Amino acid sequence: MTTKKAFAPRELISENRPTLWMAPLLAVVTLFYLYPAFEVLRFSITNASLQAPDYEYTLNTFVSVLSDSVLYKVLRITAIFVVASVVLQLLLGLMIAVAVNRARARRLPGMVFMRSVILSAWVMPGVVIGIVWAIIFNEASYGLANLLLAPVGLGDVAWLSDPNLALMSIVIANVWRGTAFSMILQYAGLQSIPDELYEAAEVDGASALQSFWHITIPQLRPILMINIILITISTLNTFDMILPLTGGGPGQATEVLALHTYNVIFREYSLAGGAVLAVIMLAISLTLTLAYRRLLRSEEAL
Amino acid sequence: MRSRKTQRRIGDVLTYLVFAVALVFFGGPLLWVLSLSIRTPQEVYITSLRLIPESPTLENYVEVLISAQFSVFLLNSLKLSVAGSVGAVLVAAPAAYAFSRLDFRGNNTLLIGVLALQMISPLVVIIPLYRYFARLNLLDSHFSTAMVYIAILVPLATWMLKGFFDGIPPALDEAAMVDGCTRFGAFLRVTLPLILPGLTSVFVLTAILAWGEFIVPYILLSQPSLLPISIGILNFQGNYAETSTQVVAAGGVLAMLPAIATFVILQRFIVRALTSGAIKG
Repeated sequence: MTTKKAFAPRELISENRPTLWMAPLLAVVTLFYLYPAFEVLRFSITNASLQAPDYEYTLNTFVSVLSDSVLYKVLRITAIFVVASVVLQLLLGLMIAVAVNRARARRLPGMVFMRSVILSAWVMPGVVIGIVWAIIFNEASYGLANLLLAPVGLGDVAWLSDPNLALMSIVIANVWRGTAFSMILQYAGLQSIPDELYEAAEVDGASALQSFWHITIPQLRPILMINIILITISTLNTFDMILPLTGGGPGQATEVLALHTYNVIFREYSLAGGAVLAVIMLAISLTLTLAYRRLLRSEEAL
Repeated sequence: MRSRKTQRRIGDVLTYLVFAVALVFFGGPLLWVLSLSIRTPQEVYITSLRLIPESPTLENYVEVLISAQFSVFLLNSLKLSVAGSVGAVLVAAPAAYAFSRLDFRGNNTLLIGVLALQMISPLVVIIPLYRYFARLNLLDSHFSTAMVYIAILVPLATWMLKGFFDGIPPALDEAAMVDGCTRFGAFLRVTLPLILPGLTSVFVLTAILAWGEFIVPYILLSQPSLLPISIGILNFQGNYAETSTQVVAAGGVLAMLPAIATFVILQRFIVRALTSGAIKG
């Protein structure tokens, strides 16, 4: 502190200024976020490899990654994975939240148990979720998914080794994992809707379905939007669950952007190529954060 | 009046229908894995939905804990999660206090900046850190791994703690300052104890997130004796999956149990932390 005085006026380190309070946070942010982000940007314009210490600055890596058809295949798979997961998590989460909220209002038993079971799926490590679903989607006839479908007479389904089914399977596993978060958000949102709105609607003779469309949905809109952004980001960053489930396969059928980035760096040893992909990931997160900020602002303005 | 009542009854039936479907979808896989974990190898291959095996056994758990070193992995996970969440709360608490109490230029922008960090994939951060740590000889170290855990948990912790500080009237710490406390003294003796439930929430939630953390230890640690459970179980699945589903299932149950047990016991705190962080901002 005393050494700082030489170049910082006394009031900068006064306890009524944020400097000292923020110092640990700023140190962590600089070392573990700003410096790495800068390095990722720098490596993206080199030809660095994970194995060789030397590299040169060049834009060739950027050009070759962006012109490689693999990137577009990966982006398409990522988009399907994210959109399907987000839509299903949102709808299922909302449905369960409405049921839980209704059970609370009507004092029906079983609500806390219900919530605990769903949240259990969410608190589990992602790798374990992948392992659980690898067991469920076991393609032999003793796998749970096949056992359940046996009466339908489809025979043994190739849940994880058929490219299209594999993508659907990772979506199912991800919906299983993430629905709890949407449910909790929507439930909190439902509780913040004033009861008077529903009472007024009831007096006016509105049906339950009508109040849902004309009161619940518009009132929930800001939270639904925030929810969409948050789960989009967490789905984009998903990587752990997919490894034990499909490993990105068959072929590259379930290789999403995060997994692809990992593979380019640690399997192909292309640090520069991975850095270009990381820059793309950063750009997506940044865009979504800006959208989130706008939403929070407009909500405050209300 | 009558139709209202029938409508209510239909509503109740629908509510329980949603509950039933959700219970089967979310609880079913857990029960199935639990059931597999207490089966003998022969009973894995039966094609029936029966959950309780004819001759239940704990053999698989013994094998996983002792020969597969799961006890070591579990202990490593515990160390890393506690270090990560304690560290994150220590770094985040003073910053969150400043965001909540001090009026300074750029307060809002900085806070949004912290939020933006939370959106960054740990993968992006870990790529350059891997190279950096390799040069400093910090790979395969719990210390450096825990530092990165702290860094990853700090944005969420700051954001949530700020929400909890906002819930305490500033008049309380100002009163302590009038009575002769410094601001830091008031923070330590008045404000922090008041948000103790909030601190607990943040601690529990970050510890659970750290328990599941994957990319960071996957890249920074390779020595088997240092691996947390998330990596240990992945390697284990790679070696065992084909031959012994029941052992992998037992490993899965052991890996999920601490997180689920913590959550069920402290559920109240977690639900509060989640909603305060995401909604109130």
